Amino acid sequence: MTGINNPGSRRRKPDSDLSRRSVLRGSAAAAGAAVSAPFLGATRAYASGHTEIIHWSWLAASDGEVWAQMIDNFNEAHADKGVQIKMELVPEEQYVTKVLAATATGRAPDFGWGTAGKGAALARDGVTVPLDDLIDEVGLDIADFSDLSVTAARYPKYDNAMFMIPMDLMSLQPEINLDHVAEAGLDPNSPPATGDELIEWGKAMTRRDGDTVTRSGILMTGSGVQPTVTWGIVAEQMGFRRASDDLSMAAVNPDAGIAAMEWVLDLFDKHKVSTRDVTDRYKAFGTGNGSIFWTGPWTLNGYVGQGLNFMTSNFPNIGGELKTYFEMGGLELYKQSDEGRYKATLDAVKWISDNSFLWTTVGRGASPRKSILERPDYKTAGHPWSVRGAFVEGMEFATIPEIPVVAGPEFTIYSGGNYLARTLEGVWARTKTPAEAMSELQARWQEGLDEG
Amino acid sequence: MATSAQTLGSDGTPEALPGERPPLEWVGYLFVALFAVPFLIFNVAPVFFGAYVAFTEWSIIGTPEWVGLGNYDDAISDEWVWVAFRNVLFYALIIVPGVTVLGLLFALFVNKSYPLSGLARTLFFAPHVVSATVIGLVWVYLLDTQYGLLNAVIGALGAPSIPWLTSSDYALVGVSMASIWWDLGLAFVLLLAALQDIPRDLIEASTVDGAGPVNRLRFIVLPHLRPVLSMVITLQMISTLRIFSQVYVMTNGGPAGSSSSPIHYIYTVAIVRNLYGYASALAIMLFLVILVATIVQRFAVREMA
Repeated sequence: MTGINNPGSRRRKPDSDLSRRSVLRGSAAAAGAAVSAPFLGATRAYASGHTEIIHWSWLAASDGEVWAQMIDNFNEAHADKGVQIKMELVPEEQYVTKVLAATATGRAPDFGWGTAGKGAALARDGVTVPLDDLIDEVGLDIADFSDLSVTAARYPKYDNAMFMIPMDLMSLQPEINLDHVAEAGLDPNSPPATGDELIEWGKAMTRRDGDTVTRSGILMTGSGVQPTVTWGIVAEQMGFRRASDDLSMAAVNPDAGIAAMEWVLDLFDKHKVSTRDVTDRYKAFGTGNGSIFWTGPWTLNGYVGQGLNFMTSNFPNIGGELKTYFEMGGLELYKQSDEGRYKATLDAVKWISDNSFLWTTVGRGASPRKSILERPDYKTAGHPWSVRGAFVEGMEFATIPEIPVVAGPEFTIYSGGNYLARTLEGVWARTKTPAEAMSELQARWQEGLDEG
Repeated sequence: MATSAQTLGSDGTPEALPGERPPLEWVGYLFVALFAVPFLIFNVAPVFFGAYVAFTEWSIIGTPEWVGLGNYDDAISDEWVWVAFRNVLFYALIIVPGVTVLGLLFALFVNKSYPLSGLARTLFFAPHVVSATVIGLVWVYLLDTQYGLLNAVIGALGAPSIPWLTSSDYALVGVSMASIWWDLGLAFVLLLAALQDIPRDLIEASTVDGAGPVNRLRFIVLPHLRPVLSMVITLQMISTLRIFSQVYVMTNGGPAGSSSSPIHYIYTVAIVRNLYGYASALAIMLFLVILVATIVQRFAVREMA
């Protein structure tokens, strides 16, 4: 006997009761429960006195593992204090879009990673929270931070307020494969300090098959970040400025910028120490297919972990004025409908900053905190000083910052997809002359500065 | 309210009398709504909203600021827009015929029973079920100038390596190769199904009448495949005009924009630069291009027939 014909079966009863009203009523109740469930859940979490701070991070390289450890450390230390951080990974390229969308819907994360100088639009639109008053409220010792880091965390055009708690200071410095150095008979204790020495080292370590470079003495790619940031550093060393100090004029000293483009082109075509054929620069250096590779401290964890035999030196003085790229990572707070969350969040950020020794010895760049830098074990902790030292001591001349305007991302030299990178790609591919590229950059950047 | 003229059906619900409209079955609407409401909210509404945003300047936060046709003006004077649309034309010229011809050849090959023809069917279709990201990563390895498998073969033949992904002359070709390999599976399956629908007695009759393989293909097979070929070309055309994942993973549009595509540029404008009004205007332009291309292509195929 089937269930449908059997009055006592479990399938028969719903059949007999099914009507349009009951279906609609049931559906409405289910939909209502589904829609209200997240809010009910949140209410229960507050009612029990437990605060969950939502953190978004885009750190997905080897430094991400150390950052996850930092968050775990916080949660462990606060296990019985009713505060926990929930970290969610968001792809770096989509990060700002997702923060904007979350803020617009009133569900922004409490805090997340930012890069100094790249968040002017967020500050203008009220997405990031000005922190000066909150810093006083939670007692974060701002005098313990380096002046450079505090300045970089501010936006002069937006009340000169601090929009970020500095977490690490980064610079681009050359990592050098020591096996290649030994093979070429070079002295690792005297790494290249000038442009000429750099080219000599590059030539000595380059491997060629006929006229084709098969191993780059100076690791470069034909497009993307590497040639763009190289140009940016060399151009600034030669006296070029993307914007005047008062942010009113774009592309100051354009001839120097053009000369720097020629310098990069010579790596490929004149000195033949680089090839445009490298598709993945990190992998190429890690597998010994490049000898000198300027990059940031975020690579250390991975290369040390895989046992690569390398050292790090200071960026050479190629253009006359010793400079390299500066980047500062930090934590920013996002707008909340419940402003009461700000203090709890900044309390958590303060704890993380106060306990950032691990992050600034193993995770990423140099510490912005004077008290951490002065610790006697700062040089001996974490990765060996031979690979970490240049990233700490080299901060002295890491003076090429972001341009803190709304159009700042179009100015950044560490980019593979912004207007600068796309314009320069034409130069590297020889489809555009350096003078044409400079003229285009000047026009576009001036528009950006005029926008404010 | 039910009138005295109404009768009740076996389930107790009112039945319509002859000449009256049948009563609405709300439960049916409810079941349709389970699909229709999310579709309207998440597919249709964003299209209309995007069309509106295309006339504004907007960065998600705040109210969109009306700029009229400003975004379209900007697009026309933006050299990267022209580069992207020119590239996608080349993509279409390479990928659409590539997929169609290879799909047909593979379908013809496995339509007959050979040893391992079942395995061949699986292998020909398999790439289509893999994500474009995975396909892109695999092909980056295959096409690497210095260490790629393809260049190793070319090198073994004594020819110089080809910079498939690192030269502005070849990047578009490299991405197209990966795309053909990825898209081939669907065309192959559709054409194989159509081949198997051709009546066997027709083939046998043409053979008895002395038609060779070429004439059978020309006068029997291809005319029967025409509707499916038209569909394959249309689908492939639309898919190619929307090419993104392979470009993003394999070249990120470079070098020098030589492999960029409209969707890749829209992504850059929207996600990297946060210019949603401008990106929406570009999306509307792409929609119009796809619409025109599809209509022209359908018309052309019908005319040829």
